[in-house]
Amino acid sequence: MSMLKFSGVTKKFDRGKPPALQDVSFEVEPGKICGLLGHNGAGKSTALGVILGMVHPDSGLVSIGGRSVLTEREKAILKVGAIFESPAFYEYLSGWKNLKILSSYSGGVTRKLMEETVEWVGLKDRIHDRVGAYSHGMRQRLALAQALLPRPEVLILDEPTDGLDPEGIIEFRGQLLELREQLGLTVLLSSHLLAEVEQVCDEVVILQQGIKVYEGRVREMEDGRLVYSIDSDNPEVTGKICEKLGGRSEEVGYSFPAELTASKLLSDLLREGAAVSHFSAEKNSLEDLYLRFSHAAGDGEKEVIR
Amino acid sequence: MKLFFSQLGWELYRLFARRRTYIGFGIFLAVEVLFYFMWTGDKAEGGMEKFIGRVAGGFDDYFSALTLAFLIVAFTMLVLGVVFVSLIAGDILAKETEDGNLRLILARPISRFRLLVVKFLSCQIYTTTLFVFVGVTAFGVGVIERGWGGGMLVWTPELPRVSLFEWNEGMFRYFVAVVGFSLIYLPVTGIAFMLGCFRIKPAAATIVTVAICVADRVLSAIPLPVFDPYREYFITSRMNAWMLLLYQEIPWPRFWEQAAWLLGIGLTGFVIGWLVFERRDVKS
Repeated sequence: MSMLKFSGVTKKFDRGKPPALQDVSFEVEPGKICGLLGHNGAGKSTALGVILGMVHPDSGLVSIGGRSVLTEREKAILKVGAIFESPAFYEYLSGWKNLKILSSYSGGVTRKLMEETVEWVGLKDRIHDRVGAYSHGMRQRLALAQALLPRPEVLILDEPTDGLDPEGIIEFRGQLLELREQLGLTVLLSSHLLAEVEQVCDEVVILQQGIKVYEGRVREMEDGRLVYSIDSDNPEVTGKICEKLGGRSEEVGYSFPAELTASKLLSDLLREGAAVSHFSAEKNSLEDLYLRFSHAAGDGEKEVIR
Repeated sequence: MKLFFSQLGWELYRLFARRRTYIGFGIFLAVEVLFYFMWTGDKAEGGMEKFIGRVAGGFDDYFSALTLAFLIVAFTMLVLGVVFVSLIAGDILAKETEDGNLRLILARPISRFRLLVVKFLSCQIYTTTLFVFVGVTAFGVGVIERGWGGGMLVWTPELPRVSLFEWNEGMFRYFVAVVGFSLIYLPVTGIAFMLGCFRIKPAAATIVTVAICVADRVLSAIPLPVFDPYREYFITSRMNAWMLLLYQEIPWPRFWEQAAWLLGIGLTGFVIGWLVFERRDVKS
């Protein structure tokens, strides 16, 4: 069963404007980290708002751990922690008091758990200082602490590293992977930083103008296959030869088992009679993927794949 | 229930931890001192001496700490009450929406209704605390100026006649009226709170509430017969109910009728605000 299910969600804010989300569906399996990508205004924050019950969808279903957010919101988000871009705390109160206030809305948070969490995020020495005196990095640590206090099973992260310095980003990335490793958290991460998503996410959902244009694994080659771009004067013949050699058609070419080296592949293709005019190994990075799909959707092609 | 009181406690802590909350208390104190000097100036005191001599006799007895405190409180609240109650009630939700605090709160497993109840009760507790503070400090000023003991004389244009009380009875009536004062402000809390539930700037919620109250007061005070049938529907006319607690004999049925009416307006404001807030999308 999916930990987080987002099914056929449509949301329109203003008449005369395109929907912020249009029939968007995706699922996140337990223990997976899913990246939510898209330009500004693509619908990422709206999607996160719908998941947390802050935004009411016009249609569709959203559930966390099998409970509907639309009909059982309080129960559904009981074990959810959330971090928002530039989290707003009460500036005139200490970090500790902020945590106490936010914890009072969840209940069941002990002093011991608070102390352990504060220590884990590295705020122990400054937790009793006013938040107004905190740096951006410290606020993000506090945001992580408040998200972890309800002992979440799901973390919703909206641009969590926005504004952090490189060290802060690396540290946060490490913390996220550690949390997944130790607690088996399911994470939905909305970010502009493709490199970040590529490094920590198992799956990615790309939104473009409120439409899902891609959902799938971040590392296409994680099953051990390598992708090659092959152009030839007779593509049909080339395709047949590739299939014979164990190739599988992909978006940018053909993927082959990793043990098949490029030199052997090329020599086999030529020997079998494929008139190859271009041959190259594809990186197929998330950046390529993102640009390809967002560009396609931007051109009105609305290429949507699962 | 324990969790609810914990949430209410922390909401009050947050409210009273703000520096500007105390600026409000400070301004009330400053205005109280201003009225104290106005009422104890030679001209005002001479006027009061004549007035008290005519209606009750014994100026020294009836121009007591309680009488002075009553005068200070009545005029201070008339000037500042609506402004400060509107400021807190209009601000408590709208400011959190504006600052972004609300997103962190709404990411918690708390219903919007419960959140609003916590915030509305906090406003009412704040109002009562503020008014009791004004009452106690005015009484303190009165005791410093006129000493302990004596009678209490109460008169305002809303009273049919002057009320006269002995010290103990007067003190009881004075503090009951002060607490009653905070309750009759429930419609102001309700209107400001309701406006704060809309997509509106905090200052706008306060200004609109004050404007409504001022317009209501002006319209209800127009001495034209054409307004007579409608006078009872004006909020500020009903808010004079606190004066009933200072009648020589308290007309309890009338007081409860007025209180129920005011409670109804306040709660209607809350319910409309809740319905609006429940349907609102909260997004960055």
